[in-house]
Amino acid sequence: MNAQLMMALMPILMLSLTAVVLMIQASVKRDQSVAWVITALGLLLALWGAGYARGFTQPVTVLLMVDDWGLFFTTLILVAALVTLILSKHTFSSEGERKEEYYLLLVLSVLGAVVLIQSSHMVSLLLGMELMGVALYAMIAFPEKGQRPLEAAIKYLVLSACASVILLYGFALIYAATGELSYAGIGLKASIAYDQNPILLMAGTAMVLAGIGFKLSVVPFHMWTPDVYEGAPTPVTGFLATVSKGAVFVALTRFFVEGQLYEYQSLMTALAAVAIASMLIGNWLALRQENIKRLLAYSSIAHFGYLLVVLIALSYGGAEAGLIRESITFYLAAYILTTLAAFAVVASIAGEDERKNNIASFDGLFWRRPIQASSLTVAMLSFAGIPLTAGFIGKFYVISVGIQSQLWWLITALIIGSAIGIYYYLRIIFAMTMSAGSSADMSANDEGKDQKNIAQDASVSSQDVLAMLLLTIVLLLGTWPQPFIEFAGRL
Amino acid sequence: MLEITLFYVAATVALVATVLAMTRTNAIHALIYLIVSLLAVAVIFFLIGAPFAAALEIVIYAGAIMVLFVFVIMMLNLGEKGDQQERQWLLPKIWAGPALLAAVLFAELLYVISTVEGPVSTTAVSAKEVGLALFGPYVLAVEIASMLLLAGLVGSFHLGRRYLERDGFDDGSEK
Repeated sequence: MNAQLMMALMPILMLSLTAVVLMIQASVKRDQSVAWVITALGLLLALWGAGYARGFTQPVTVLLMVDDWGLFFTTLILVAALVTLILSKHTFSSEGERKEEYYLLLVLSVLGAVVLIQSSHMVSLLLGMELMGVALYAMIAFPEKGQRPLEAAIKYLVLSACASVILLYGFALIYAATGELSYAGIGLKASIAYDQNPILLMAGTAMVLAGIGFKLSVVPFHMWTPDVYEGAPTPVTGFLATVSKGAVFVALTRFFVEGQLYEYQSLMTALAAVAIASMLIGNWLALRQENIKRLLAYSSIAHFGYLLVVLIALSYGGAEAGLIRESITFYLAAYILTTLAAFAVVASIAGEDERKNNIASFDGLFWRRPIQASSLTVAMLSFAGIPLTAGFIGKFYVISVGIQSQLWWLITALIIGSAIGIYYYLRIIFAMTMSAGSSADMSANDEGKDQKNIAQDASVSSQDVLAMLLLTIVLLLGTWPQPFIEFAGRL
Repeated sequence: MLEITLFYVAATVALVATVLAMTRTNAIHALIYLIVSLLAVAVIFFLIGAPFAAALEIVIYAGAIMVLFVFVIMMLNLGEKGDQQERQWLLPKIWAGPALLAAVLFAELLYVISTVEGPVSTTAVSAKEVGLALFGPYVLAVEIASMLLLAGLVGSFHLGRRYLERDGFDDGSEK
């Protein structure tokens, strides 16, 4: 391990250092706010590290591949972690819990995500995924009060463990077929192995896809999503939706591209079926949801269906590989930022009261909390893919890639899915614009509580600043995307 | 020839023990079968030339982890009530559907595996080679695994603490 390799690993080193410092701090004197500051500094240092490592892009041992693309997503995920950290500051506070462990778990989970993003070998893929997952189970179950978080954590733990087992079996079969564990090695030997024994390679890859599909919650593997989204504390849900899913998708793309698995028609057909089912069923089930976290869960299922279209387009060769990479970069970035904006608002409106996640509690939000309401509106429009938002450009990319590759079935499903999506996204916006009078059936007790909340919120203006910031980024990516597109094209 | 016979004997023992581990209603009995199954897998590791993995399988799985399981189950003191609950969960109407689906997948996997030619020759991998690989090209994996263990430790500490405090124990830190 020479100095050059260490420089390339800078973000990972900084995150590990933060974890160690946090542990030392907790053993000397337990203090929540000091732990928060250390975590924030650590994440900022890791952000600096991600920029610094750009000068040292290279493969680091067989396990990791440090390149510009991975470093960009590392940056994005660190930003998402920072937003989660800011949102977490005010959750669970009333329960008088010691949150040092929470911050430590957050840092470890981000570390897992960064390893996952830069993985170029099945060992690092599995280790990164497990590190991220194990820390997430504990984060989901973190609040000491209430059964919901514990229930969500158990569901996620058991199903996720099953998914990991299937993933491992898939690795074993691929290894039996090719004798390789690194993506590049698989890519080199896959075609020979396919000629010798097509079933073995396909069965192995299908099992790997099932394991990864669970983490992405695409349709046949999506059952856990709404329950876990609803049960987890809101900042953790936001973290799960952005960091965890984003990192897994980047890892899937690397596995697919470097392992050259897009060349096998039967795999792509299976993936296309998964994508179509995700787009249709995800959007369909979101229609009747009354809880905004469940709604966002189903919406995320649909969004990963859209993203799979781009991946499938790889095998048809209609679109250039560069354009496909650029589309994935843009769509994933837009999705992560939009999701962050949405969860920042949900976290600040609902606070710790999980009952306030119903759409009804967003009635007339424009008149009560205009900044939060506008941020959520922009987020919903971006999810729906309305022009002038980041989501529109992302969807534009997906459709243009799909049309160039002539994936008509997938495009049809995408259009139907988006049309259904507009209904439930607009429903939230509609609820927020209702005049305060129409929600007069709120009991006096409730209104008293609301007033108290407003008084509290005046002091918690950091959440408004955060909402404004995310709103600006999502709008900027939609109205003036050229600099970012050029940047993404160079990655 | 002897090796092949030994392999099939060990594999049969492993399969039977695993099935029994799943179907026993008494948790301790199930665990004992699981230990037998792990020992049989260790024999298979030994036969295919991985004596170090075989030793680890016995020391860590059959030894440390299973003993821990046995202790936990004894402390929980499930007794007859646990048996009854297990019996309720083991009704055919609960496991029949999943078992059928799993059987289909199992048949497919058997077919897939039957198409593979076994390794022509096996070379024994010594502990030294394992160590050289772990701390050579795979050193990062060791480091990441250590972080993984840390995450598991901190997570289980936090989840377990709420029960410790409720029962009047304290971990000595300030509240």
